Amino acid sequence: MCRRKCDPNCVRNKQETQQPNNMTAHTPDKQAVTAESQPLSNGAASVSRIALVIGAIGLIVGVVFGFRDGWEVFFRSYLLNYSYVLSIALGALFFVMLQHLTRAGWSVGIRRLAEFIAGTIPVLGVFFIPLLIPIFQGMAGVYEWSNAEIVAEDELLQHKASYLNAPFFVARCAVYFIIWSLLARYFLRKSLAQDATGDPKLTLDMMWWSAPGMLLYALTVTFFAVDALMSLNPHWFSTIWGVYYFSGALVGFFSLLAIVMHVVRNSQRMGQLLTREHFHDVGKLAFGFVVFWAYIAFSQYMLIWYANIPEETVWFQPRQADNWWIGVSLLLLFGHFVAPFLALVSRYPKRRSGLLVIAAGWLLLMHWLDLYYIVIPSGHAVAEHAAPLHVSDIALFVGLGGVFVAAFTRPMARHALAPQRDPWLHESLTFENV
Amino acid sequence: MSGVKTDSPNATAGRLEGLLVEFDSPTALVAAAEQIRDAGYRRWDTHTPFPVHGIDEAMGIRPTRLPFIVFLLGFIGCIGGLVLQWWTNATGASDFPGLPTFLQGYNYLISGKPEFSLPANIPVIFETTVLLAAFAAVFGMLAMNNLPKHHTALFASERFRRVTTDRFFVYVDAADAKFDEGQTTSFLGGLGGSQPEAIHDIASSPSALPGGLKVSTLILISLLFIPPLVIARARVAKSNEPRIHIIQDMDNQERFKAQQAASAFFADGRASRPQPEGTVARGDLRFDTHYYEGKIGGEYATTYPEQVTINEQFIRRGQERFNVYCAPCHGLGGAGNGTVNATALRLETAGWIAPTSLHDQLARSRPLGHIYNSISNGIRSMPPYGDQISPTDRWAIVSYIRALQFSQQADLDDVPPEVRPELR
Repeated sequence: MCRRKCDPNCVRNKQETQQPNNMTAHTPDKQAVTAESQPLSNGAASVSRIALVIGAIGLIVGVVFGFRDGWEVFFRSYLLNYSYVLSIALGALFFVMLQHLTRAGWSVGIRRLAEFIAGTIPVLGVFFIPLLIPIFQGMAGVYEWSNAEIVAEDELLQHKASYLNAPFFVARCAVYFIIWSLLARYFLRKSLAQDATGDPKLTLDMMWWSAPGMLLYALTVTFFAVDALMSLNPHWFSTIWGVYYFSGALVGFFSLLAIVMHVVRNSQRMGQLLTREHFHDVGKLAFGFVVFWAYIAFSQYMLIWYANIPEETVWFQPRQADNWWIGVSLLLLFGHFVAPFLALVSRYPKRRSGLLVIAAGWLLLMHWLDLYYIVIPSGHAVAEHAAPLHVSDIALFVGLGGVFVAAFTRPMARHALAPQRDPWLHESLTFENV
Repeated sequence: MSGVKTDSPNATAGRLEGLLVEFDSPTALVAAAEQIRDAGYRRWDTHTPFPVHGIDEAMGIRPTRLPFIVFLLGFIGCIGGLVLQWWTNATGASDFPGLPTFLQGYNYLISGKPEFSLPANIPVIFETTVLLAAFAAVFGMLAMNNLPKHHTALFASERFRRVTTDRFFVYVDAADAKFDEGQTTSFLGGLGGSQPEAIHDIASSPSALPGGLKVSTLILISLLFIPPLVIARARVAKSNEPRIHIIQDMDNQERFKAQQAASAFFADGRASRPQPEGTVARGDLRFDTHYYEGKIGGEYATTYPEQVTINEQFIRRGQERFNVYCAPCHGLGGAGNGTVNATALRLETAGWIAPTSLHDQLARSRPLGHIYNSISNGIRSMPPYGDQISPTDRWAIVSYIRALQFSQQADLDDVPPEVRPELR
């Protein structure tokens, strides 16, 4: 018998001769699986429309406050919330490729939901374009390296100008978004095609592309984090920065995934596909990345704290300068690590989707707070006279969040909610945590 | 023993240990396990070549308590790591004076960080947490599974050898409360597996250890004594040979030697950096001229600085320091007749200036600060002692000199009445 080898015939045979797994008590019903993963035709479409309306209102409110309080405040809030929704979509893309890379069976039933979330990247790419305005306008309050007057007086920025300049920035970001969009579209399209044909060759194609895709992903996400977020403080540098953004992104993604799974299950769908075991595993991954985030964030903090060199401590200085930011730092420490660690360490809440969703909602807020902590106190003097929390921070959260939700719920109304004919689907159906 | 197969050679050799049933598939095993569970048996087990999903539930095994043990030990490791670092680095001999030295902390300044600073402690806390949690997981698992286990009566069964390849077994222990040989045998026989096999303990197995094992264990234990004996001998014996340096980094490191023209450490040929202009080294800020120089507003002080308290202990400290540093020249009584002076006179050393007697009129009239200054910076041919004696000890010596001077000028009224008879 050929087991788990990448031989198309083997995969095909296995699919054709698929037997109900005789080692487990429950036997999955293939017809029922196909039925229960039907598109949420009405529900998802209306959710998508409502989210789009709410998002549009949020964006309009943000723009109104931009007219009133200045565009630097607006674009800072926009960058904060944009990097938030994008991080979640990037987390989903990572998850999809990781499942193919490791030939994971347990996750087949939930992979399509992640594919939908990753599928928002082309849309989000369009929403990146407004962020080019502050760069070409040379707004010192957003990216100070884009302001010619500041660069003229700053020797360090002159040395960095060959990398940090507007045309090169645009070119790099174009490359990132093209790569991500191609990857996200590719994995979604192939997976949807398999629903129609059931061809196991598509799975092998996706497995093949997941490896180079992962390499490209690692490089582009690291560079994007450096370009979009680290360059807010162009004098400062941290070599762990890309991983820091990535770790938070995965916390955000697994939290959203748990919530989407819970909502789908409560919509009378995927009863066999989303078992307690799947919630348990998503909970484990969320827990693992919470710890990973803390590990990375602390690694960055401790080295800078210990060396105590001004060119490095400059990043933490404004974040520990007044009570508001000290409070935010402590809230991150306890809210983004200690509390979720204790809440999710036991298997009990991870196996109960009602409890897991509470922790996931909290973690989504904390991931936002993490990016708020990264973006808002960064940059030039404008941050000092702006209020620490601006209305546009919230308005654009609603705005971009609404657009994001609308973008990933729309395909849920048209496409099956699970890869119904994936050759490894039976593993996902019969999988149990020992 | 109706229905029990007795194909095992030791079948009748000893006490009945339990009954073994063989199954062909995990499905049959799980179904049988559910029936045994429902029949109320407690002391029984299943044996399979690989983990079987659902067997825990079929056997009625409750979730393991191991995670709680791991969490608890991890928590202890976390708190223990924190306390360890606080104790070793943030407390010192003065905090708990009664403790033996080997239990005392050693508060030591590292990189200018606070002695107790959480960020620096977290990596160690992390390690101790993981260490204890991992120990709890591994050793707790072994203990809860009764491992390691070198022998079981099941080894007597021929067919049981296939348990690691392709057969599935249920074994019911005879010690179970519900166990009844006849009844249990017929019950197990009806579960769809093989006929139950009676497992007996191996009475014929020799209980004595093999001779070779004994001898080799003894030799091994004897050999283990050699290293500690060598170390013990080295600790009490004297030797003219230099010590063996296992790690020779300190011998081979770069260093600046006396008389060397230039060091390779820095471009300017120095081995260390000069103090930057306008800075003061830690502990070298000496604003308090009274304490450090014995002067108030440029005049010699006539009082002791507030840093010192004059009491018997302090004066005795002064006496001890005086006898070390001053008495060789000035003499134990301060009359200027110390051993150095005596030797110089005996050798008729040219240009020798005799030390001052501390009891002449001039010395007695000097203010306290003047004596302190003389000790610190020297006077006439006397060299300075400021680098060798700490400021507090210098003030102690001053107080002792005052006591010596007073002793030569006192009259009977100054002596307490109860000790006056001793003077006669």
